[in-house]
Amino acid sequence: MNRVQAIAFFFAASVVTLLSSAADAEDAQPIAITHARVYVPGDHPPLEDATVVLSGSKVLAVGVGLAIPPNARTIDARGKVVTAGFIDVGTDVGVVEIDLEASTNDAAVRSPMTPGLRMIDGYNPRSAVIPITRAGGITSVVVAPVRGLLGGQSAFVDLAGDTVAEALVRPSLAQNAHVDEEGVQAAGGTRGSLWLMLREALEDARFFATHKAQYDANGVRPLSLHRAGLEALGPVVRGEQPLVVWAERASDIEAALRLADELKLKLVIEGAGEGWMMAEEIARHKVPVVIDPIEDLPSRFDRLHARSDNAALLARAGVRVVISTLSGGLADSNLVSHQTRLLWQRAGNAVRLGMDHEEAIRAVTEAPADAFGLKGYGRLEKGAVGNVVVWSGDPLQAGTRVEHVFIRGKEESLETRQSLLLQRYRTLPFTHDGSR
Amino acid sequence: MRRLSVVAGATTVASLAFAACLPFGAAPPPLRAEARPASSVPADPFADSEARARTSLDSAPPGHGPAVLVQHATVMTATGKRYAPGFVLMEGGTIAAVGEGDGPAPKEGTVVVDARGRFVTPGIIDPHSHMGVYPVPDTSGHDDGNELTDPITAGLRAEHSFWPQDPAIERAVAGGVTTIGVLPGSGNLIGGRGIVMHLVPQRGARAMRFPGAPEIIKMACGENPKRVYREQKRAPTTRMGNLRAVREAFLHAQKYARDWEDWTRKQRQPAPPAEADKKHDKGDDKQPDRDLALETLALVMRGDILVEWHCYQADDMLAALQIADEFGFKVRAFHHALEAYKIRDVLAARGVGVVTWDDWWGYKMEAYDGIPENLALVTEAGGRAIVHSDSPIAIQLLNQSAGKALGAGRAAGVKLEDDDALKWLTANPAWALGIDDQVGTLEPGKRADVVVWSENPFSVYARAELVYIDGQTVFDRAHVGAPWSDFELGVRGMPAKQEAK
Repeated sequence: MNRVQAIAFFFAASVVTLLSSAADAEDAQPIAITHARVYVPGDHPPLEDATVVLSGSKVLAVGVGLAIPPNARTIDARGKVVTAGFIDVGTDVGVVEIDLEASTNDAAVRSPMTPGLRMIDGYNPRSAVIPITRAGGITSVVVAPVRGLLGGQSAFVDLAGDTVAEALVRPSLAQNAHVDEEGVQAAGGTRGSLWLMLREALEDARFFATHKAQYDANGVRPLSLHRAGLEALGPVVRGEQPLVVWAERASDIEAALRLADELKLKLVIEGAGEGWMMAEEIARHKVPVVIDPIEDLPSRFDRLHARSDNAALLARAGVRVVISTLSGGLADSNLVSHQTRLLWQRAGNAVRLGMDHEEAIRAVTEAPADAFGLKGYGRLEKGAVGNVVVWSGDPLQAGTRVEHVFIRGKEESLETRQSLLLQRYRTLPFTHDGSR
Repeated sequence: MRRLSVVAGATTVASLAFAACLPFGAAPPPLRAEARPASSVPADPFADSEARARTSLDSAPPGHGPAVLVQHATVMTATGKRYAPGFVLMEGGTIAAVGEGDGPAPKEGTVVVDARGRFVTPGIIDPHSHMGVYPVPDTSGHDDGNELTDPITAGLRAEHSFWPQDPAIERAVAGGVTTIGVLPGSGNLIGGRGIVMHLVPQRGARAMRFPGAPEIIKMACGENPKRVYREQKRAPTTRMGNLRAVREAFLHAQKYARDWEDWTRKQRQPAPPAEADKKHDKGDDKQPDRDLALETLALVMRGDILVEWHCYQADDMLAALQIADEFGFKVRAFHHALEAYKIRDVLAARGVGVVTWDDWWGYKMEAYDGIPENLALVTEAGGRAIVHSDSPIAIQLLNQSAGKALGAGRAAGVKLEDDDALKWLTANPAWALGIDDQVGTLEPGKRADVVVWSENPFSVYARAELVYIDGQTVFDRAHVGAPWSDFELGVRGMPAKQEAK
């Protein structure tokens, strides 16, 4: 399903609006970012003194010595760095305004089995977190359930737009499972009960897919899920939609790989505190791993073997490593709450801890796009979605500033609620309009 | 028979030492009343128990190892001076010399470290940690940070919850941290005493106590206490309930302090023995009962215990300062203090420290207005800004936090030197914990708590390569040995297959 179809499926009424705004964008002035260091896809060093041209919602061209369209707005990015917009695939951006205010928190579902749940239904494009995240050079995120044995369907959104329809790229990107300690507690208290529930749900979904008519005529045995859940798991059991499994302990990762083999699932592992111990097996299964590289502590018994060079060791074994701030799972929630904007720092730390610098940039651009099949994302090349960031220097370094953010070819404001607070209190005593 | 043991101890060193040998509550050698000199009741009724709390059963005598001369580095001192290239000479556990050039010719036996291209700083001090009291792994068995049975638990000591085997400790040291303030959690309004720890492996908490560090106390305002006790359906459930409870606690402590002062003064009045006995027999100068919480608060009001007050919002901090004024104590520092920038003029004028993160925000209502320029703005206003972690992950990245806050401040037009940001990590937290006479800068005579970084410490790529505490190597990235924690034996250090490649 392409983007427009996806939107049509869930938001039929808004398609006209979207198409007309896309048409406006086509008429917009092209943008040429010149003389920059530009990170390009694949295992290549960045281009030096290169140009990126955006036209409409797309990347028109990337290269050295390109002709600049005569009517283009030119941004001289000498000494600066240009990358594809960063993508964080494990966030609660737009579904949590304030974690501890339950009325503003649409991430923490209390029931363990909600595969039919769609995170997009809680997405608020007016959240104050969105501009702040965007000002960190993140242009797209996956909004995922933070817990639940089968917690529901994540959504892929661009951090732009005033309506959900405008922000939305994929309303049902992946199904999310948690087979870590928290998942175990939610699923009867033992690993045995957890895998029983998980297997039963997936097998029932397979059964349902071929017995829908009987099901609707009340002619089948009792199934473990409601209809919406069974329906939602259809693409998962057909191996079309990724099943993202949060697993920490090596043996839990092993169990997830085994289940994926058996049921022919498209697997993504998240968390993976002990991932390095299973690196060769994970590489052999060609399963991408999403990790937060600063999580190096034996913070729970299911990650006693956590180590700081997990990302580097996995990458060295040939695993596709995706770096994320990972909102779900771990106890130290203050580190992730509203801090998706610090994705660059996670990638920088992966470098400090042994990962190659260019690979770390790929781990927040191409790798997440590849792992989730997000065509046109995460790559600065002709025809790609125009999600582009201009950085004042090394994107992974403290002190580097985000200077321009383009989403679908349109420059986004870097004004945030925080920049307004700064403005108001930049001098004391403050005045309400920020003036003296 | 009079019981003098409660206030045993005296003004001379010798008798204090004698008194300290007495277990609390045990009867001292019998004294005849007429033989009792007035001075046997000490002027300070609380001194003995305070002194007793500092003795350790298991502290090893400090060894200092060989002298170490670190050369050819960029030396950042946190005093405003920077030497490039410079040297640091550590001898006998202290910094013997620091300055420009190669330093003095090394004496025989001196370990010479060629730190070309490296940066040298004082050890990082994190004034707000729960390592040891909320150790990893997270288990119910070690969930010892918050005594959520009463909102006022001033009599507690975090030291008594501290698990010295917490695996997070060694990783913090590997991040360049040499000293921490360990605090009880913030579920209570007055959570109890914290303890300043030097991060050297020991078998018990007491032995890790930073020598000579003052006592500190953790207080909390705002959301946490009222949330905890609302769930328990008891007071406080509101901010006004919070502050009433704190004021009542200090009112009681005022009376407690007065009772002990009165009693002590009477006991110390020279009186004819016969009359004293008679008076005593009538029981009208009965020794007050001891109360651990009130005693602690009495010492807070006397200025002997530094107040580390968890407070997020500007209005909460202002209200807290008014309570401090009401009871005549000083707030050493507000912790978390995400809105300190809004009242930085007040905090700077009153000399109240601001202990905060570089950019955390939004996880609760009182954290919604946090901005990354907080540390920079407080510094610009002449206040004392300090970076803390409150997290066993963030404590490993404190140098990066300073780097980020430095960048945010400069982008906002705040004029900051690298040394200002270093002070956020070393000199200023040393002050917040009352140990700035001993650590926090690289100056001769200070304890040799020193970090050698692979590059500028404000870089995200910087790694602590060598960490010294009292001149001893506590971490050497090139030679990481067996884990400090017994808990990690047989777990950490398992080789990765990929390492062979």
